[in-house]
Amino acid sequence: MDATAARLRERLAKDLDDGFTELVRVHATDVHVFLQRVTGSAVEADDLGQETFLRAYTALQGYSTQRRLELRTRAWLLTIAANVWRNHVRSAVRHPVVLTDPERSCDHADDGPGPHERAANASDRDMLVAALGRLPERTRAAVVLRHVIGMSYAEVAEVQNCPVGTVKAQASRGIAALRGVLETDNASAGEVST
Amino acid sequence: MSHEDDTLGGRTRVEEELAGLAARAPEDFAARVLRRVGVPSDRYDTYLWLEAPAGGLFVAWSPEGVTGAAPGSTLSGPRMFEERHHARTGRTAIPTNRALPGLTSALRTGRTARLPIDWREFTPVERAILDAVRGIPRGQLRPLTWVVREASLPDTDAVRTALALNPAPLLIPCHRVTHDEGGACDLACGPETGARLRTAEGITEEMTWLPRSGLVFLGSDTTRVYCHPTCAHARRITPPHRVPFVSADAARTAGYRPCKSCRPIAA
Repeated sequence: MDATAARLRERLAKDLDDGFTELVRVHATDVHVFLQRVTGSAVEADDLGQETFLRAYTALQGYSTQRRLELRTRAWLLTIAANVWRNHVRSAVRHPVVLTDPERSCDHADDGPGPHERAANASDRDMLVAALGRLPERTRAAVVLRHVIGMSYAEVAEVQNCPVGTVKAQASRGIAALRGVLETDNASAGEVST
Repeated sequence: MSHEDDTLGGRTRVEEELAGLAARAPEDFAARVLRRVGVPSDRYDTYLWLEAPAGGLFVAWSPEGVTGAAPGSTLSGPRMFEERHHARTGRTAIPTNRALPGLTSALRTGRTARLPIDWREFTPVERAILDAVRGIPRGQLRPLTWVVREASLPDTDAVRTALALNPAPLLIPCHRVTHDEGGACDLACGPETGARLRTAEGITEEMTWLPRSGLVFLGSDTTRVYCHPTCAHARRITPPHRVPFVSADAARTAGYRPCKSCRPIAA
């Protein structure tokens, strides 16, 4: 992985378009998975992911060769993704989208299960995804970066722009909350079935 | 649920479940990103995995044509294909979900000779050799000297080199080339994968060894034409009319002419 990262930085420094294709190949999945797990929607992850890479490309155009050679690409890209997501959340709160087009409101493009389906096959996985969506934003980001993407605490701290200790606290708080949700849900499910 | 059975190999169950949420991005996400950002399409290759014998086939292409292919059985997965592709061509392969036009039907019918190949990285000699190999029909075999003659070359050395460099096994069917004395000449993707590709076309191990049993060419005593034994015309000769030859000379001396489809060496 280190060799891949070093080669990627060299290609970015030498030829932006060529290096950028490699950047997309290596990191597209991480960016998409992060955005899908924090937003809870594959469609939004797609839009925000495109936006993330567009910003990354524009930023790289202004970077010197030296700066490109020193870039820790994964943490850097996910920092952009996290910012894009936070901006999106903020503007979505300020300017809620009103669906006036009846076709769009009926034909839900999002691939999430409907309420019926959700109740019927509320597996651990679905409950976990739902519980993840209820965590506070920074905690959610820390949990996803550390436990879904598999980043080190140092990398997560870089993305979150805060000390490593804070990140560890966020992640363990998040895990504790998720465990609580899964246990109560399983317990209540057990009571119903017996 | 108690806390004791909540841990799995050092990680808690919640952590295990979370790690399981890391799926791959949609197949064409990376390709759409590059289009949206506006990176010119000749700066990278796109690739796809297609149904084929020997673990399917990864195929990558540029706007010029196919730049590489590899049977799934020779790789651990898409990441390995991407890395090998870059090591060989210096180009990044980006996954897509839309096949190069003509690719799917070429694989289905086995008629791959007209598929565009990106020859930019190859010398004219290498290209002539690999193009000759593309002329070997599905289910048939040709010896190295046949490729030498088709590519108008002096000897087999260049052919061996070019076959080992074959960028697209199966699409450029090097598994249909044998040594002159018999035996498959699997220089690109190894004997195991080669055997699987041949089996899928109905070529048995025995057929690759026919020259050793004295059957270099097969003639018909009704038409007085001789062929490579795996040529479609040779396979139609009924047993009582089959006349084996050990060399083209022997066939010519017996008054036979070479088949115009499989073009046996008239040396």
